[in-house]
Amino acid sequence: MKGLSSLERIILESIGKQVLNFEEIQNQSGLHENVCFNVIQALVIRGFISTDGARYRISEKLSPLMVEEINGKEAKEAEYLELMEALVAQKDNRVFRLQKVAMDSRDEKIFIAMLSNLESFLADAHKKAQGTVPVKERKVIFWGLGEVNQLMNQIVAGN
Amino acid sequence: MTLQEKTLHRYRQLYPNQPLREISARTGIQITRVFRLFNGKIMKVGELEAFESAINEKIAENPSFAKLSSVVEEASTILTNEELAKIAEYVARKVSAKTFGRFYIKPNYESAIIA
Repeated sequence: MKGLSSLERIILESIGKQVLNFEEIQNQSGLHENVCFNVIQALVIRGFISTDGARYRISEKLSPLMVEEINGKEAKEAEYLELMEALVAQKDNRVFRLQKVAMDSRDEKIFIAMLSNLESFLADAHKKAQGTVPVKERKVIFWGLGEVNQLMNQIVAGN
Repeated sequence: MTLQEKTLHRYRQLYPNQPLREISARTGIQITRVFRLFNGKIMKVGELEAFESAINEKIAENPSFAKLSSVVEEASTILTNEELAKIAEYVARKVSAKTFGRFYIKPNYESAIIA
């Protein structure tokens, strides 16, 4: 498997720049005890996390290959798909809308400007609450824009 | 990994907690012989077939697997290497996520703190 799974990434995000014990990581990530423990062990074995036996931190010396596993294009794309798939399959409190919208060029420009506003609102909201809201309670939000013709051709070509 | 090792490994994945007596009953191989096979004794063709048959029986309980196998076979002849890599990656991620939740070794905090 290329890169990290969403589960491994959520553990790394939960630890961040801190040094945390198992309960703190579990509380941040919201993962079930056994899943959390197994993911942590996998990350320790792979050298992403170091531990003194009781507390965990992200390894200080990550090789370029490991950084690629975390931030590489393919790894991130796989994570996006995993999260989007989970969101589409979500049963409770599901908020998801995908539409094929007819839009003239003027409205498209307005829409892109609105997205830009939305992005700065989210950046501010995150900055304000990141110290108090644990990783498990953060919201997964995504948006995108594509042209039907181009996307269909891409699907046929298999890219 | 030899074919014998692969077959036994696959058998153990599908029947993780089955005692030797039950393996013997399912495959029709004597219990002492089953013990020896799991300890590296070379299998006869008939024994390999017995294990394969037990594996196939278990797989047949899940009809989606047969569909997956047939689709993968078709995909291997039609899709590009890049597309196949994406599918392999997708399946590997599904397996990885499931594996994390399957096995559990309880952490021993007290001894870790004492150490």
